[in-house]
Amino acid sequence: MIDLWRDTYRYRELIWALALKELTIRYKRSVLGFLWALLNPTLMMIVLTLVFSHIMLLSTPHYAIFLLSMLLPWTFIAQSLSYAAESIVGNGDLIKKVAVAKLVFPVAAVVSNLINLLLSMIPLAVIVLILRAPFYWTWIYLPVPLVALTIFVLGGTFFFATASVYYRDVSHILQILLQAWFYVTPIIYTLDFFPARYRWIFKLNPVIYVMNGFRLSVYYGKLPTAESIIASFVCAFIALGVGFAIFRKYQDEFVFYV
Amino acid sequence: MASDSVAIRVENVTQRFRVIHERPDTIRALFSKLFRHELNYYDFEAVSNVSFSVHRGEMLGIIGRNGSGKSTLLKIIAGIYTPSAGRVEVRGSIAPLIELGAGMHPELTGRENILLNGLLMGYSKREMNEREAKIIEFAEIGDFIDTPLKQYSSGMYMRLAFSVATEIDPEVLVIDEILAVGDSGFQQKCFQRLRRFQEAGKTILLVTHSLQQVTESCDRAIVMDKGRMLIDGRPGDAVELYKRCVEAPEGAALVEAAQS
Repeated sequence: MIDLWRDTYRYRELIWALALKELTIRYKRSVLGFLWALLNPTLMMIVLTLVFSHIMLLSTPHYAIFLLSMLLPWTFIAQSLSYAAESIVGNGDLIKKVAVAKLVFPVAAVVSNLINLLLSMIPLAVIVLILRAPFYWTWIYLPVPLVALTIFVLGGTFFFATASVYYRDVSHILQILLQAWFYVTPIIYTLDFFPARYRWIFKLNPVIYVMNGFRLSVYYGKLPTAESIIASFVCAFIALGVGFAIFRKYQDEFVFYV
Repeated sequence: MASDSVAIRVENVTQRFRVIHERPDTIRALFSKLFRHELNYYDFEAVSNVSFSVHRGEMLGIIGRNGSGKSTLLKIIAGIYTPSAGRVEVRGSIAPLIELGAGMHPELTGRENILLNGLLMGYSKREMNEREAKIIEFAEIGDFIDTPLKQYSSGMYMRLAFSVATEIDPEVLVIDEILAVGDSGFQQKCFQRLRRFQEAGKTILLVTHSLQQVTESCDRAIVMDKGRMLIDGRPGDAVELYKRCVEAPEGAALVEAAQS
């Protein structure tokens, strides 16, 4: 694990440049360019808000904010892992020609998506204000779940980056997995929506504690319990430990398989 | 020669590749093959037991037929492959690139690519900013520097790539058949730069099919054939041997017989 911090620090400029490259290329050909990074989540949120506050009248007040408070971090998970599956394979040409620390690619994938997540918090705040929903002081707690989530996602990213080098099927399996994972995470519904006898499923979900941290501080204006915070970091560090160990074990072989 | 003048030492290096017939790309294919014991493979030695050393300031030519192991050898020295056996020692910074322009992205501008390329080769942003002006000047691409790379001609692209690779000033430069591109004027300029590199005491490894380049520029040359090193000697001798190899299909065997 020390290797990870040391190399990430050593290659910080390269990682940053690769993450920016990712974002620049994504928006380069469009007229509005980088503005899309802000506009994209804004427009998505406007659509969701219109649908849920005017068309589908649910009993949950300010459902749009309820939803977005978890949908945004979820998008970060889903996008990072999808990028991860491509991060080594997609840079195969480069890996075969330049001796470069392999970890820069998955880390850069996470960084670029983290930038997206941070940018999308701005329109979320704006929507909270527009809808005149309560704006809680607990927003200042957000950096804590952000850190835990990033650690967790890094672990997943290392794992899927490695797995997809050996089996290209992984990126397809991942999409299905993400779908299922989305529905067993209480993103679009509340916890009590699930019948009590199935609630043990939540206990198996490694992101539930960290996701709850987002919803509590943005929507309910509360802080998670200490147990929940500890659980979110335990899950995060286990994911990172396992993911990085696997990545490190195989990274020297990547060049022969990409 | 004193050992502290050695820039690269290659000791008994072997690179084995596991070649699987019809490598299973999918899990399904793997399982079906595993269960039916159809996963047949053989180990192929791209480089077998090669040893040599290169002294500081030397330009070493590496010649050999296609598939003789030249590029694999360079990749091992550049740190891209971890050899199956043996040891490689490189003293000083090495430009870890095999192909010029690796890592350049067509959607980014020349300037953005200079930075990205430099960072990929292990240089800092500050070091690259310091060298930027010189790189642009040598590449002679003028105002195109702020244009996306996809609009460059292939000549401009190669000039930029060569300029980045050499301006960053590595102590060891590894070049794999790249000087075949560019017009003769630029080629001339490239060779002048390589000579200046040599004069400055830098080490150059040059893989090429141009025998003329070897005899004219290299201090020493090795010939690779079927993964083995046939000779490590004067460029003239190496070129002679290489010609015999190419002419006779069983050339390697003949040479070996002659040597033993």
